[in-house]
Amino acid sequence: MLSRVTMTTNSTAAQRGMQANAVKLAEAQLRANTLQKNTRLSDDPAAAADSLAVRAAQAQAAQHARNIDNGDGWLTMANGALDTSVTLLQRVQYLTLQGANGTMTPEAKEAIAAELDSISSELLVQANTKFLGRTIFAGNSDAGFAFKGTPPTFTGEGNSPVVRRISGEATIRVDADGAAIFVNGAESVFEQVSKIAADLRSGADISGSIDTVNAALNNVIGQRSVVGARHAALLRAKDSNVNALVDLESQRASVEDLDLGKAILDLKTQELAYQASLSVTAKVLSTTLMDFLR
Amino acid sequence: MSTFSGLNTALSGLNAARTGLNTTGQNLTNVNTAGYTRQRAEFSALGTPARGSLNDSGIKVGQGVGVSGISRLGDVFLEARVRTSFSASGYTGVRANALNSIEETLNEPGPNGISSQLQGFWTSWQGVSNTPGDAASSAVLLEKSATLTQSIASGYKAMDAQWSQTRGSADTVVKDINGTAAQVAALNKQIRAATAAGTPNNELIDQRNTLTAKIAQLTGGTTRELPDGTNEILLGGNVLLSGSTSNEVKLFGATKMAQGGPVQLEWAHRPGSAVDLDGGKLAGMLSVLKPAELDGSGGMIAQTAASYNTMARKLADTVNPVYKGGVAPDKTTGNDFFEFTAGVPAALGLTVVPKDAGSIQVGAPNAGGKDGSIAATISQLGIGADSPDTVWSDTVVRLGVEIQSGLQQAVLADMSLNNAVASQQSNASVDIDEENVNLLTYQHAYQAAARVMTAIDEALDVLINQTGRVGR
Repeated sequence: MLSRVTMTTNSTAAQRGMQANAVKLAEAQLRANTLQKNTRLSDDPAAAADSLAVRAAQAQAAQHARNIDNGDGWLTMANGALDTSVTLLQRVQYLTLQGANGTMTPEAKEAIAAELDSISSELLVQANTKFLGRTIFAGNSDAGFAFKGTPPTFTGEGNSPVVRRISGEATIRVDADGAAIFVNGAESVFEQVSKIAADLRSGADISGSIDTVNAALNNVIGQRSVVGARHAALLRAKDSNVNALVDLESQRASVEDLDLGKAILDLKTQELAYQASLSVTAKVLSTTLMDFLR
Repeated sequence: MSTFSGLNTALSGLNAARTGLNTTGQNLTNVNTAGYTRQRAEFSALGTPARGSLNDSGIKVGQGVGVSGISRLGDVFLEARVRTSFSASGYTGVRANALNSIEETLNEPGPNGISSQLQGFWTSWQGVSNTPGDAASSAVLLEKSATLTQSIASGYKAMDAQWSQTRGSADTVVKDINGTAAQVAALNKQIRAATAAGTPNNELIDQRNTLTAKIAQLTGGTTRELPDGTNEILLGGNVLLSGSTSNEVKLFGATKMAQGGPVQLEWAHRPGSAVDLDGGKLAGMLSVLKPAELDGSGGMIAQTAASYNTMARKLADTVNPVYKGGVAPDKTTGNDFFEFTAGVPAALGLTVVPKDAGSIQVGAPNAGGKDGSIAATISQLGIGADSPDTVWSDTVVRLGVEIQSGLQQAVLADMSLNNAVASQQSNASVDIDEENVNLLTYQHAYQAAARVMTAIDEALDVLINQTGRVGR
């Protein structure tokens, strides 16, 4: 407690009080304007660390969302190509059964052989399907073709799968191995279909090829289910990524953002305190003994 | 006892009351003068004169009132406390300002800080890994890398500029100290002369106190009163000024942050040994100007600049070893991603090596031309205990805590200064009410002394003019 109060100490104290309240008012205004809990790093360094971590996780999750969309494109494309291949091979299966029937005329056999030829080349087109300039069954090869030449040979990179990062912990393969689906060399589906066509034209017995076609068809169906399973996993990852983005945003908001109601209440309280200090100052400083002496 | 001594007594009362009125006038007119300390006229009753001779008999009263001096109602202890508080608040104030500037250049946490640019950098590697050799995603990577290196460089440059600016201000402060010390020495000379001559020197002492408090705010130091009315100020035990002589101080040491040496205050007449400062603005400036230390105990500006350097090196050391093993779409391999320009600090010299999509080494060797596995690995380097991100986040949090405590110290020092000044002002400042009462008192005293004079005059009139005229 001060032992002696003078005009000077009174006015200094009043000035200091007004200044302190003005500073608090300005802070409350800044907070209400920016709606940020901490406008400066030093307001709460621990919250700043949380904020950095959450923002990092947000940036990662946003990139994962882009990766997933890209992977979705790859797998959808692979799924479509394999779907068409299965339909084509089922047609081959039907035609082979039909051609194995010994009572057919050479003209009818020629018609079947011609259709098989065209299916063979269509299968090759499916095997060389591209997505955004990349051959989806050729791994990370930059050759531009999965199968090329006569007979078609696998030119892709079977040991270098295309993977996409779908979360902080997991990656997923988004291509399919062309060599495993269509088989390389003389055993390839293209060769086998062409061989049946050739056998039909030469009049050889093709009943032995029925099993080969069945085996090839089953192989493609099996590979397609693998791709389908991966696609399903990717779509699940997409859902959890969307959830993660929402969760992270709400975490960020709870670390950084200020409640509007609280901000306005604080501002009003400070405004009142400032006005109070102004009016008290005006009352205290106005009187001296001179007002009462004659 | 002479007949007329009563008139003299009344006259001494008139004189005393007039001196009192004048002192009150001086106080009231200086009510708003900075550094003015209220004064009071000191009176003492004049005693009976000694007996002149054996015949001198009878009881005698005193001879009235004498003005024994005009005293200055200052309190040396309160003034010393103000100086100590000024010294502490000068020190913490400078440090708080430096910390504030550092905080502003950091831009953390937020979308413009290095942390978010690091995020952009890492995620753009994933983009490149998805589409190796693609011009668009590679351009994003190169642009993000350039932004990151520029941010690190501009953070360092801001520290460099702040260092130079603080160094310049420190020079100005030293000039100010020398100038103020010379002024105090000149005042001391006048005070000594006035004290010897016995004339009042209250106003000179007020001026000197203001200047001494300024020196305390600039450099701290210890002030001592000397018997002849002068004072002396010691810096680290050595005399800055004593009586009417003052010694000059000078700054020596590094003039650029990159030079790395300490900046120290030395006596101009005895270069080579540092003056040990215990507070004040200059001590605060010298503490923020200290060179960086490996254990993080250096000056905060150089230390922050050093953490930008560490960050640059960490980034290169993390990315380069992985990147080196990659193969670019145009079959380039074995290059670094980041390299340093020789001869400049790491933060300024950090540059990106690849210039176009074809020469970014994104794929593993023999894994196909469109492989992006190296880029995918690099994109994950930002996660983990020893990653550049963690290093940076630690730096930011450490700075945040330092800034927080620095600002807190400044607030506390200011509060203590406010209290010290309030106590000193409470003792020394002029109160209008009090002076008005004094004014009334002296006015009445004057009137009373005049009444005494009138009474004696009338008594003498009776004695001189009416004696012997009875019955006429």
